[in-house]
Amino acid sequence: MAKAIKTVSTVVSKVEDLGNDTKRFTLVDQDDWELPPFRPGAHIDVHLGNGLVRTYSLCNEPDDDRRYVIAVKREPEGRGGSNFMHNHVEVGQPISVSLPRGGIALDQVGSNVFLAGGIGVTPFISAIRHLERRGRSNYVLHWTSRGRPVLTDMIAPAIEAGRVRLYDTNAQAKPVIAAIFEEFAGSGLAACCGPAAMLKTFGDAVSAWPEERKHIEMFTPPKVIARSDVPPYELYLSASNKLATVTPDVGLLGTLDALGVDVPVSCGGGICGACRTRWTEGPPIHRDRVLSPAERQNELIVCVGDCAGQRLVLDL
Amino acid sequence: MDAIAIDEPEVTMSWQGVVRFLHKTPRAFLPMRSFPSLELVAGRGIEGDRYFVGQETGFYSHKPEEGRQVTLFEMETLEALQRDHKIELLPEEHRRNVTVEGVPLNHLVGRRFRLGEAIVEATRLSTPCRHIEEILGKAVFDPLINRSGLNCKIIAGGTLQVGDAVRPI
Repeated sequence: MAKAIKTVSTVVSKVEDLGNDTKRFTLVDQDDWELPPFRPGAHIDVHLGNGLVRTYSLCNEPDDDRRYVIAVKREPEGRGGSNFMHNHVEVGQPISVSLPRGGIALDQVGSNVFLAGGIGVTPFISAIRHLERRGRSNYVLHWTSRGRPVLTDMIAPAIEAGRVRLYDTNAQAKPVIAAIFEEFAGSGLAACCGPAAMLKTFGDAVSAWPEERKHIEMFTPPKVIARSDVPPYELYLSASNKLATVTPDVGLLGTLDALGVDVPVSCGGGICGACRTRWTEGPPIHRDRVLSPAERQNELIVCVGDCAGQRLVLDL
Repeated sequence: MDAIAIDEPEVTMSWQGVVRFLHKTPRAFLPMRSFPSLELVAGRGIEGDRYFVGQETGFYSHKPEEGRQVTLFEMETLEALQRDHKIELLPEEHRRNVTVEGVPLNHLVGRRFRLGEAIVEATRLSTPCRHIEEILGKAVFDPLINRSGLNCKIIAGGTLQVGDAVRPI
């Protein structure tokens, strides 16, 4: 049986060595179709085909809707993703990616103050291109780098207009982060992406700001359907003799998926009945809208189901 | 008590609608693109669409279904979402191929009808899916229950154009 398609199929159309151990990759649809939309500063999971999945911010802007542009700095001591991207990803290669997630909720009229460290600039490149495309200049980017920064070609007009402050920390002092944000304390958005020490300093500088006015760029996991506060429980699949623990963040369906069980899920919302499954131990929590009370005595719609007890046994 | 003979009039469907928008996409997750016309192929689907039989690349392609050859959606549902739920759902966002106006889709399951010069047979009502919410970021799942469109197989193919009539056989 064919497997469900869970990722967006793209092809690498361009690989550019920008120097400073950084490469820029452009991903497109094989027929140059529009790609799924995204917000300024969103990110995608890149499936590297060898089991590695890495998350990278998009550098391009939402209106540039036929490509995903990512920049990857080689981290020799990293976990392998950046090395794989640098050493093995070539033009013409197919690459699967997730739907874009996250993004920066830009202040539409007030100021947007961005603070970036090194390659952490990528979400702000996207945001700045988005703002510049709309003829807006209500932002400033403070950007530190060790040596020559890369990706400057993507925001050249902003740099020429003086809306980007560059700090080469090999040659000059780091910016005083608290001072940068002090003058914007009353209004506007503050956002930061960079190394942990910068994030910490930034967090301290804007600690008194309301949450909706500050953005610390962290990659967000895919959304899970809102669940009740069901505690973890044991899942046993009697037909295949598999055992796992279902936790709230993964859920029953995610756990079945991780176990490699092919449940015919369709609507994913408990209304179509495609994933009805027999249960023998529970009791389950039913959240579907298709089973009758009698059917619920031995069947469960697993896409929205859970367990009220400590152990759920399914006939799978 | 004796049954009373009632001379009931025969019920016939008397609607006539029109094709307002046509969309297709070649692969799962990619945005739907609008076209002035689509080529419907009997028994297979829409040329270039992700559910064209034999070249399936859609989100549900691992679960083949002949009724997925062409899918329809009502303009009236888009209006109802705006009116009743303040949700703006655009014709390219519901991910069905044909947006029609004046066609009572929920009444047509099991019936054949004309779609422009083509003839289709409705196999089942479409169900909404969380997949659409994931793509759109709009909470449309619940409001679309029981009015998420119609799945059809193509009995006789042909070119379908925006503005074409949709009518009973």
